[in-house]
Amino acid sequence: MNKLKLNPSSITFLAILVCLPLAYELFINFHIGGIELFKEFVISAFNPKINNEIIFTLVKRLNETFLIAFSSWLISIIFGIFFGILSSEIFYKILNLPIFLRSFLNLFLTFIRSIHELIWGLILMQIYGINFSIGIIAICLPFIAINAKVFSEQIENINHKTIESIKQINGTKSSTLLTLVWAPILKTYKNYGLYRLECAIRSTAVLGLFGVGGIGTSIFLCFQTLNFRELWTYLWGLAFLIIISKELLKKFNLSKTSEKFLTYFIIALFCISLFSLYFFVYFIFNKNAIPFNSINNFLISNFSLISYDFLKLLLETIVLCLLSTGITISFPPICILIFNNKIGIKIIRSISFLFRLIPPPVLILILLMFNDPSISLAAITLGLHNAAITSKLLLVNLHNQDNKQYIAMKSLGVSKRSSWLLGSFVKQANSYLAYCAYRSDIIIRETAILGVIGSVGLGWQLQESLSSFAWEEVIIILFAYSSIAIIGELINGKIKSNLA
Amino acid sequence: MINTLLELKEVSYVNKNNFTLKNISLKIKSGEKIALLGKSGAGKTTLISILNGTIKPNKGKVKLFNTEFDKLNLYQKSKISTIWQDLRLIEDLSAEQNVNCGLLGKRSFLFAFKNLLNISSFKKAHQYMKVCNLQKSIFSKNIRKISGGQKQRVAIARSLIQESDILLADEPFNNLDPKITLNIKNLLLINKNKIKVPNTTLVSLHRLDLLNDFNRIIGMKYGEILFDLEKTKLKKSHLNMIY
Repeated sequence: MNKLKLNPSSITFLAILVCLPLAYELFINFHIGGIELFKEFVISAFNPKINNEIIFTLVKRLNETFLIAFSSWLISIIFGIFFGILSSEIFYKILNLPIFLRSFLNLFLTFIRSIHELIWGLILMQIYGINFSIGIIAICLPFIAINAKVFSEQIENINHKTIESIKQINGTKSSTLLTLVWAPILKTYKNYGLYRLECAIRSTAVLGLFGVGGIGTSIFLCFQTLNFRELWTYLWGLAFLIIISKELLKKFNLSKTSEKFLTYFIIALFCISLFSLYFFVYFIFNKNAIPFNSINNFLISNFSLISYDFLKLLLETIVLCLLSTGITISFPPICILIFNNKIGIKIIRSISFLFRLIPPPVLILILLMFNDPSISLAAITLGLHNAAITSKLLLVNLHNQDNKQYIAMKSLGVSKRSSWLLGSFVKQANSYLAYCAYRSDIIIRETAILGVIGSVGLGWQLQESLSSFAWEEVIIILFAYSSIAIIGELINGKIKSNLA
Repeated sequence: MINTLLELKEVSYVNKNNFTLKNISLKIKSGEKIALLGKSGAGKTTLISILNGTIKPNKGKVKLFNTEFDKLNLYQKSKISTIWQDLRLIEDLSAEQNVNCGLLGKRSFLFAFKNLLNISSFKKAHQYMKVCNLQKSIFSKNIRKISGGQKQRVAIARSLIQESDILLADEPFNNLDPKITLNIKNLLLINKNKIKVPNTTLVSLHRLDLLNDFNRIIGMKYGEILFDLEKTKLKKSHLNMIY
């Protein structure tokens, strides 16, 4: 028998093996105690509650959500571009600055993005109390660092020969830099920046579950009172907001606008940048902040951390990441392979939209209707949410690719599924796996969300430590989170470069 | 007395890809029209890259206006323009925006910004594009959407708009049809248009039928200059040495 050969296609499908331990644990913990509730939840999706009062609340909550999401998206894009340029090699080459400055900046940005916006939100809430600004700042912090990474990666892709040719014209350094980075920045904004608005809306919804405000707060309140019809009104409202905001932004094309409009647009951007900088500084030094005296304890603390099972939680977090990543990688291609027809694909699209729409904390609460809390349950929640995102990308890429090989295989009498696998998917496997590697970076950060609502891993401990103002523990947990995220990012970077 | 504009003194260069130049000395004087001949891989592109200061030689000195390259200011450096063999245009910009990039050496940051927003004046760019036989219809087209020959002429227009004193051109007639080749050659060597074209030109090329308007021929093989003579003294035996 020949040896199994590992390639992007086989790795994609082999990842399904994580389902074996997962299925075992889920089977053991299965119960039907919440079947009636689940039935009610599903039926309510088709029968949301609509009356004047709810519509009024929905509009108010959507306004809040959009305001937080849009502000944080815009600020994070502007500063993301700024830090993206500052953290790219080309900046230091053109301005002849010492390259070690870039390493410091990159390390700082890696730390900032390794901590999920929810954790930033919880920390800021503990320090400053519940405040509308918390949502914006909590989302902005990791989003700026994430955007900076993406913009910087695209700027690094500029052909060195183009750099040489523009440098050779001997314009001022600022003109040379701007001319070189302009096109990749615009392209990244179009391909990636707009998608970040959807992410910002979803993150606002998740932060809302923890009291920041917006639609998330209403969703959580409805779930707590098991008012599923009202819950679905808010979920559909959230879906509407995501779709509408995406379509509106798509229509905004910078290159087709008039000179006057562009001038106003740039002045507006400049003002927003200045205002947001002022906002950050004012917020941090605001004298109304709740004093967090307990941080002083950090200095005199004896680090009695061995009292709780820190290592176990750390290990749980890593296992949770691995299991969720396995599901994220393998579910979409397997589902498309099995249901490879027009209706099947439509169903996959609809289900994946729902899994993207329902915030993971709500999703796990729904799954808890059938199952006891466990790592497997957290993993399947996080895995399904992220698989919904990777499936969207895979379907778009499959749709856009040339399907000559698929047609050629079918003409040879090969079955539809085999033709899809060998004629279509194989071509996508490399880039799909590279995207999944990037996605796993995000999964590492997202483990915090499930942990915080009392499931598993470090997030649970973080919530406990935050609630008791045990800042020394909080700092160590943040450090642990950061370390896992940074190590994960390094490993994934290696995987991505190998796949490229 | 004829000025020496560019000078190489015992220049040697080896890189990891083994493109080498061996002990090259060369003086380029004002008003010279030099043809650089040699097989592919002879070191023509490397020589041009050293002449325009893009790569630093491992040994020897490169001087522009009798000053070493490292000591030149931006204004002095902008007196050399280059047409690259691989064109090196910015793919995401339009043809006219690319041509305007050639003005970066003379204009401010605001001009660069307006050019990218597509709101700067393209009058001068259009003037240069017209003399390079580019049709109006392609002025605002994205570089990705035009043909190889059109891209070649955009690159030529970008280097001419710099209004430099010296033009270094690496196989500038690639992708051009015979009629346009002749027009562009005349533009570079015996300019009769109203626009300013560099007075001193070094052109690397493969086509021997285009040599007639040059006044100096340099032949290269394996990174060495095998001959450097006036056009009138060029014989078949010289060509046999390099091909």
